[in-house]
Amino acid sequence: MSGLKITRLCKTYADKLVVDHISLSALRGEITGFLGPNGAGKTTTIRMIMGITAPDSGSIDFEDSDSAKIPHHLIGYLPEERGLYKDSKVINMLRFLSGLKGMDSRDVTPKAMNWLDKFGIADKAHSKIEELSKGMAQKVQFIATILHEPKYIILDEPFTGLDPVSQDLFKAELRRFADAGATILLSSHQMNILEELCDKIFLIHKGKELFHGSLSDLQDAYGNVVIKLHLEDAADIPRIVELKGIQNIKQTGAGKLELDLVESANAQSILREIPSDIVLKELSLARSGLHEIFVKIAKEGRDEV
Amino acid sequence: MKSDTLKIAKWELLRYLTNRQYLISLVLTPVLMVILMSIPTLLTYFDKPRDTIFYVVDEMGILADLRAEISPPHIILKETEHSEDLASLIYQEKASGYFIIPSKFWQTGEMSFYYNKLNQEELGIIRTAMTTILRSHRMQEFKIAPDDLEYLTQSVSIERTALEKAETMDANVMILSLVFLGLIFTMIFSSGTMLMQSALQERRDRMAEIVLSSIKPTSLMQGKIIGHFLLALIQIVFWLMISLPAVIYLLKFPLFDALQASRLGLIFFFGLGGYMLYSAIYVSIGATMDDMQSAGNTQSLVMVLPVFSILFVAPIIENPEGMVSRFASLFPLSSPLAVVIRSVFVKIPLWELMLSAAILVLSIYLISRLAAKIFRVGMLMYGKTANMAEIIRWLRYRD
Repeated sequence: MSGLKITRLCKTYADKLVVDHISLSALRGEITGFLGPNGAGKTTTIRMIMGITAPDSGSIDFEDSDSAKIPHHLIGYLPEERGLYKDSKVINMLRFLSGLKGMDSRDVTPKAMNWLDKFGIADKAHSKIEELSKGMAQKVQFIATILHEPKYIILDEPFTGLDPVSQDLFKAELRRFADAGATILLSSHQMNILEELCDKIFLIHKGKELFHGSLSDLQDAYGNVVIKLHLEDAADIPRIVELKGIQNIKQTGAGKLELDLVESANAQSILREIPSDIVLKELSLARSGLHEIFVKIAKEGRDEV
Repeated sequence: MKSDTLKIAKWELLRYLTNRQYLISLVLTPVLMVILMSIPTLLTYFDKPRDTIFYVVDEMGILADLRAEISPPHIILKETEHSEDLASLIYQEKASGYFIIPSKFWQTGEMSFYYNKLNQEELGIIRTAMTTILRSHRMQEFKIAPDDLEYLTQSVSIERTALEKAETMDANVMILSLVFLGLIFTMIFSSGTMLMQSALQERRDRMAEIVLSSIKPTSLMQGKIIGHFLLALIQIVFWLMISLPAVIYLLKFPLFDALQASRLGLIFFFGLGGYMLYSAIYVSIGATMDDMQSAGNTQSLVMVLPVFSILFVAPIIENPEGMVSRFASLFPLSSPLAVVIRSVFVKIPLWELMLSAAILVLSIYLISRLAAKIFRVGMLMYGKTANMAEIIRWLRYRD
């Protein structure tokens, strides 16, 4: 079921079309990765979803709202440009922000304390924001985003600056929200996290949709097969380079190679071409990851200009 | 939307009321005011005037009388003769100058003063004393007794009683109206600056986008304006609570009578209108800046806008019915001040009052809309202070 549906969304700034007929469906219970190079139109699209900026044309529909009105109280939003009032206490900050989302002030405190406890900062409830470390402040921002148990969660770069333990905590909570039926839109440049967390990927470039689908569909569309080799003798590398059907070779260590195959190439036949006297310590086959696909697309985009 | 505005107002209010700095300034400001106001008195107390020496060439022999008439002990009169070196004597003795009381003084009433330093106040004292001496001499000439003189030169006294629907105001009402006006302008200035800083802080703390994802920019702006209005009101009520007992008991000011006679409705309507107009301007200007120091020409100019209306005060008092006064009471940036001051001196025709009020209300509506536009765009622009060209471009944005 489509939780959030965007149809042919457009936005122009100073005669420049920054969002160009974007259509997207983010499903309930799924995490959709919203991906694109800097300046692709991600933040503008997210701001239009949030009603902070109005689209020139197109529509944004929330499943729970029968009118064109944005159900703000059902959305948890963590923008890229985010902060907290430095001179306020953590608990007051959470009370204020969840109050804006329509939460009853009596419900806020026990729930907030519960979340602070979960993130290991319950002892900071009455500290001022300016006394917190950056990571702690980010946890408070995250709690403020999800405290009212939103049905829609929109996050712009939520993981930057977080330590791996906190990242795992954020990921686990997002998964839990998705499993409970929330619709999650996640914009990030941390490809490994997106790969791990997202059910769907939406790729935007120069305001246009490039791809919308599952990660494996994306790999089918844009990815190549990569052969990873570890040779016993690094002197054999030039003999590997001569092989046909390889478009790019990356040396990742002493005797370690990554062979990026051309689209038409068959991995098995290339493997058969490896001279039998070359001793292999390791051999693996993989499809290019989100990172490689993203870099490739971003580069292609730049070459087009 | 209404409740969102109130949530913001409540948040702003509580944030400041639990802020130690705000509370300290709330209490300390009146204390500082009292100290500042008493400084001139203290200075005069400690700053005893230095002796001033005048030389007198007395062709009439009345120096003793003159000395007796002059009370301030620091004015010292020394007798001397005519001489060509009188000037050098004055320089040498560091005296202020010398007088010549000519032999025909009783007939002409004229005397000369050659000065090195001119002090109008001391000259006035000497003139008054000489006038008294001359007058009493001439009275004797005409054989008039001092009592008869008083009888002859008595001024007429008029006993005033205001009719029930009198148009003019008495001095107390005038003072009270001006005090109210002063309070309103203090509110505009103090909460205007606070509003500007509050909008600025929203940007600096990167809170705008989070807050604006839950509520409308106009609610945020209106909430801030209402919140700071209440803060300013608390401040003023607090100050009044401290100063009112002093005014009533020490100065014996007939506060309640004056309150009844004042045009409170007019004062509050125009005061509140002015407050709303300037608040909208201040809060939107705050939204265009990244920090207080980076205020550009546009911002600095807007910040001093309320001062311009103070420039009208003197012309209005001088001629409350004149062109300048009429213009000032129609022009929305000055009308809050101008109408209240004019109403103290003259009865403003009803149609003129209605026109001023209508222009003010319309201006508040238009400026609030423009301010909301600037505020909305400004809030989401990070990292720099906007210039005039950018602000004008923002006004053209569809939202």
